[in-house]
Amino acid sequence: MRIGVFICECGTNIAATVMTQKVADAALALRDVYHSESIQYTCSDPGQRTVMAAVQKHNLDRVVIAACSPRMHETTFRRTVAKAGVNPFMMEMVNIREHCSWIHDDTDEATEKAIDLMAMGVAKVREEVPLFTSKVPVTSEVLVIGGGVAGIQAALDIADAGIPVTLVEREPTLGGNMARLDKTFPTLDCSSCILTPRMVEVKHNQDIRLIVNAEVEAVRGYIGNFEADIRKKATCVDEEKCTGCYICVEKCPSKAPDEFNAGVGESKAISIPLPQAVPLVASLRKEHCRRYIKGKCGVCEKVCPADAIDYEQEDRIFTDKFGAIVVATGYELFDWKTAYPNLGGGHYPDVITAMQYERMLSASGPTEGHIRRPSDGAEPRNIVFISCVGSRDESIGRPFCCNVGCMYLAKQAILTKEHIPDSQSYIFYMDMRAVGKDYEQFYRRAQRDAGAIYLRGRVGKIYPLDGKLMVMGADTLSGQQLEVAADLVVLATGFTASDGAAELAQRLNIPYDQFDFLSESHPKLRPVETTTGGIFLAGTCQGPKDIPDTVAQASAAAAKVIGLVSRDEMETSPMVAEVNHMRCIGCWKCIEVCPYKAIEKQKLRDGRQVAIIIESLCQGCGICNVACPPSVVSLRGYTDNQLISEVVEVLR
Amino acid sequence: MADLVTTIKQTLKDVELVLGWVRDPATGVAAPARFHTEEEAEAAVFDSTCVHNLAVHLPRLKGRRLGIVAKGCDARSVVELIIEHEAEREDLKVIGVGCGSILDVKKIWRRFGYGVEIDDRGDSLELGGERGPREDFLARKCHGCLEADPDIYDLFVGESAGGPAGEISGGREEPHPLSAMLEDLAPAERRAFWREQFSRCIRCYACREVCPMCFCRDICIMQTQVPHWAGGEVNARESEMIQHIRVSHLAGRCTGCGECERACPVGIPLMLLMDEQNRAIEDMFGYRAGDSLRARPPMQTFSIEKDLWGDEE
Amino acid sequence: MNGETDRADGGAVNATDADRADLKLVAFLCNWCSYAGADMAGTSRMLQPSQVRIIRLPCTGRMDPLLVLKAFQEGADGVLVSGCHPGDCHYNDGNYYARRRLELLKRMLAVRGIEPERFQYTWVSASEGARWADVVQAFTTDIESLGRLGATVAGGGGG
Repeated sequence: MRIGVFICECGTNIAATVMTQKVADAALALRDVYHSESIQYTCSDPGQRTVMAAVQKHNLDRVVIAACSPRMHETTFRRTVAKAGVNPFMMEMVNIREHCSWIHDDTDEATEKAIDLMAMGVAKVREEVPLFTSKVPVTSEVLVIGGGVAGIQAALDIADAGIPVTLVEREPTLGGNMARLDKTFPTLDCSSCILTPRMVEVKHNQDIRLIVNAEVEAVRGYIGNFEADIRKKATCVDEEKCTGCYICVEKCPSKAPDEFNAGVGESKAISIPLPQAVPLVASLRKEHCRRYIKGKCGVCEKVCPADAIDYEQEDRIFTDKFGAIVVATGYELFDWKTAYPNLGGGHYPDVITAMQYERMLSASGPTEGHIRRPSDGAEPRNIVFISCVGSRDESIGRPFCCNVGCMYLAKQAILTKEHIPDSQSYIFYMDMRAVGKDYEQFYRRAQRDAGAIYLRGRVGKIYPLDGKLMVMGADTLSGQQLEVAADLVVLATGFTASDGAAELAQRLNIPYDQFDFLSESHPKLRPVETTTGGIFLAGTCQGPKDIPDTVAQASAAAAKVIGLVSRDEMETSPMVAEVNHMRCIGCWKCIEVCPYKAIEKQKLRDGRQVAIIIESLCQGCGICNVACPPSVVSLRGYTDNQLISEVVEVLR
Repeated sequence: MADLVTTIKQTLKDVELVLGWVRDPATGVAAPARFHTEEEAEAAVFDSTCVHNLAVHLPRLKGRRLGIVAKGCDARSVVELIIEHEAEREDLKVIGVGCGSILDVKKIWRRFGYGVEIDDRGDSLELGGERGPREDFLARKCHGCLEADPDIYDLFVGESAGGPAGEISGGREEPHPLSAMLEDLAPAERRAFWREQFSRCIRCYACREVCPMCFCRDICIMQTQVPHWAGGEVNARESEMIQHIRVSHLAGRCTGCGECERACPVGIPLMLLMDEQNRAIEDMFGYRAGDSLRARPPMQTFSIEKDLWGDEE
Repeated sequence: MNGETDRADGGAVNATDADRADLKLVAFLCNWCSYAGADMAGTSRMLQPSQVRIIRLPCTGRMDPLLVLKAFQEGADGVLVSGCHPGDCHYNDGNYYARRRLELLKRMLAVRGIEPERFQYTWVSASEGARWADVVQAFTTDIESLGRLGATVAGGGGG
C-alpha cells in the first residue's frame, strides 16, 4: 500500500490560514504514506500534472487530496488519478478550504485541524478497494403516461428526435383538460384550434404509438431498462375498424353522464367525447349500457356500418421495455360540494363550476356556445364568479394556490361580455395573482373593457330568493357586507391531483406530496426529474400550473429524456451497496428498508436464500448497511471499516 | 406431567422434533431437551425450574417442522421471531404451558448449596429441608408478570392464568432492581458504574448465545475484523462496545425474557440496559416486541406524521 | 465563554483553555444537505470554532448508531449528526430511519451516563450556511461547558 498526499494551497485561499507544508510534513509521518507535497493550485493543469507525475514516480496506489470541497472537485481528481493509473475510487478528497481555511482565522488551530482531516482521509483511503463502474444498455423507447397537453408536447418533442414513444392515455381521446377549454388566457386563442393540430400530429407521427383507454399497471426495472405492463381496457369497439361516423352514438338508446362536458348536457353509453377526438373512435361504457344492465340491446352492433362493435372484447395487457418514463397525468378539479355547504353544496342548479361554464362558452359544447342557466335555460344577466373554491383554504386542508383561477375568471368575464353584451360580471377574489407574461394587462382588460366588478373578499353564503341567487360576502377593501343578486354563480374550483396519482407514484416508486402531487427531485435545480433515475415529470401532475408552464416543463422533460436514451449504454456508480453472500443470514431487513426496491432474495446453489443488490437500482444511500445486523450488506465507498477508521484516526 | 407428555407425543405425529425440558438427574432441575420420538417424550417435564427460553433454538432450525413448549414470556420471543422472518408460523406447533412463575435456581443454589433439593409447594418452597418464602426466589422476569398464558399456541397444557401474557401482565416491566439506583447517579457516576460492571466481563458471549433475538450467531460483529467495531482484548472498554452492539441490534426486538442477564456468569445487570431501551421504544413508537404477529418492527419503518423528534425549530 | 479572561486563572472553571482546545468533536454530515450547508458556511466565510471534525456520509440513513458509540469509546467529547430536513432526503427515506435510530440512541446514551448534550442531531439544508455555523457554535459551547468526557472516569479508556 503506497499512499500519496497532496495539499492544495488554492493560491492563498487555503495557504493564508493553513500551513500547507506543515500538513504535508505531518502526512509523511503517517503509516503507508510514501509521498506528500503542497501544490499551489492542484486543480489547474500543472497541478494535476504534478499529481500524476508523483503517482508514477513514487508508484502510488492510493491518493489523498486535501483541497476544496469534494462537491467541487471530486470528479476532477478522480479523473486525474485515473489518468495516472490509479483506480479513481482510491482517491479520497479532504475538505480543508470550505471546512477549514475559510472558517478559521487562527493559523495554528486551522493547521492542526487540517492535519487531522488529512489523517482521516489517509485512514479512510487505506480501507478503500478498487471500484469499477459498470455499463448497462439503455432501451431507446420512451413511455409517456398521460395524453393531455403535457404528454402530447413531451411525446412530440421526443419523437421529433427520432426516438420511439408509447403514449398511454386513460381516456378514450387525447387532449386532457385543455381540450375542454374554450379560449386560453391571455391571448384568447381558441384552445382546440391550437391543441387539435398537436393531437393530430401525435396520431400521424411514425414514431409515436398511441394507446388510449389504457393505464400503466405495473413498472419494473430501472433507469434505461424499465419494463411496464399496460392494460388496455375493453371498450367493445374495434379501434381499427371504427370510422367515427357517429351513427352508433345517434342510435344508442342508453343515456349516460357527459364527463367530457363536465356534466353539462348528456351523453350516450356509446360515445365519442368530442368531435375532434384523437383517435376518432367510439367507446362503450358498460356501466351505462342497456345490454349490460338489462341484458338486451344490440343497437350499436346492428347499425354500425363498419362492423366495429365487439361485445366480447376483453382487456389486453401489453408488456414493453422502455429506457425512460415521462409522467404527465395532469389534474382534476376539486369536488367542491361537500366542502362548501355554504355555497349551496350542489343543491342549486345555477351554481356551476368554471369548467361547466367553459363548456357552455365553447361553440362545440353542449349549448353550442350559448350561456344558459341550467335551471330554466334563460340567459343570465348578472353573473357572480367566486375564486379560490378549494384553493388557499386551510380550513379544508387545501392551503395551496391553483395558479390559474384568477386568470381564467378574468378570461371568463371577458368572454361573458362578448357573449352577452348587457351582462354584468362580479368577481369575488382573495388576492389578484397575475404574474405571467401579459397577465396583469389581461386582468386590467377584464375590468376596463369587460366592466367586471372585482370584490375583494370571500363569499359567506348563497341562498335562493325570487328566482335569483343571493350571494353574500364581505368586501374587505371597503369593509362592507355585500349582497349581489345573481342569475348564475360560477365557482373557480381548485386543482387536485388526478385520480390514482398516488397509486401510480407507488407503482413507479417515485415520491408524492401530501396532496398526491408528484414530487420533483429538487424544486429549483432538478424540476423535471424525480428521485428515481429515468422517470421525469411534466405538467400539473407535479403541481398546479398554467398551459405555458406545463408545455415548458414537458419540453424540458423531453430534453432530459432525449439526453438519456440517445446513449447506447450508461455508466452506473459503483458506490452502491453489496452483499457478502457467504455471510448473509437471510433476515431481509435490508429489503424492508430499501427505498428503491433494489434488493431481492436469491437462492444460492446450496439452497440458502440470500439478499442480492440490483446495482442499477441502488442509489447508494446506505440505509440497508445500518439495518443489516451482521453488517454483511455494506455500502461501497462508505463501508463500516472506512467510517470506523476515520473515527479512530481523528480521536487518536 | 402425563398431559404434557401426551401432548408432545401427539405433536410429534406432525413435526420432526419438539423442544421441551427433561429433569437433569444430577441437579434435579429442568434442562432443555429435544424430543424426536414418543419414547424420548416420556421424559418431558414442566415445572418451576423450566427457566430457559427455548425460542433461542428456532432460528437455527428454520425450515424444519417443529414443536416448542412455551411459557407466556417464551411465546413473545416466538412471535417476534416470526415477524422478523426467523421462524415460520406454519412450520411451528406451539405447545403453550400455563406458567405459575419460575424460580431463580442460581439464587437458591447460592444460598442453599449446589443441587439442593427444591420442593415447590406453590405458595412456599422447601429447600433441602428448610422452608423459604417463594417470593424471595422468583426469577427476576416473573416480577410483574403474574402467571401469564402465551399469546399464541396450537395446544395448551396445564392451568390457564386466564388470559394472554400481554393482557394480564400490562406492567411487565417491573423496574429492574438496580434501576432506582441508576436513576440517582450523575452522568459521570453512571459511566463509572458501567465501566466497573463491564470490567468483570470475560467475553464468554453467553448473553448472545442464550438470546433468541441474537440470530446472527457465529457471524456476529462482536468478533469480526470486517467490520472492526470492537477489539479482541478482554477489558471493560471493549466489553462495553460489544454490549453497545447487542443493545443497538436488539432495539425493537428484545422481548425482555431476561435470559442474557440470567446467563451472565459474572452478574452484569444486562437487563438494566434492555429494560431502559424497551421502555424508550414503547414510549417512542408504542411498540413492545412480541405483542403481535401483525406488528412491523419499529426500526424497520418510520412514520412521517408521528416521528417528530428533533424538529426543535 | 470568553477565552481571553479564562486564560489568566487556568482551572477556575470546569474547562481550562487547554482543555477547550483539546475538545474532540466529531460531526457526521450527509453529503446532499448538511455537508453542502457546511460548504456554504465556508464559502460565506462564516467563522466557526475549530474543534469539530466532519465525516462525510452519503445520507444520515447510513449513520450507524454504533459510530456514535465508537466515537465516544475512542474519546470523543461530543458527536453531532446533521442531515436533510425531514421530507427533503435525497434518498426519500434516509433521514426518517435516521431520526428513529438517533433519537433512541440519544435516550440510551443517557442510561450509559453520556449527557444528552454530548450527542446532538439536527437538520441543516444546503442553503442554510448560517444555520450550520450557528449549530457548530452552539454545539461547541454546549460541550465546552460540560468539559472533557473521559476526565471523570478514572483511566479514561482501557481497562
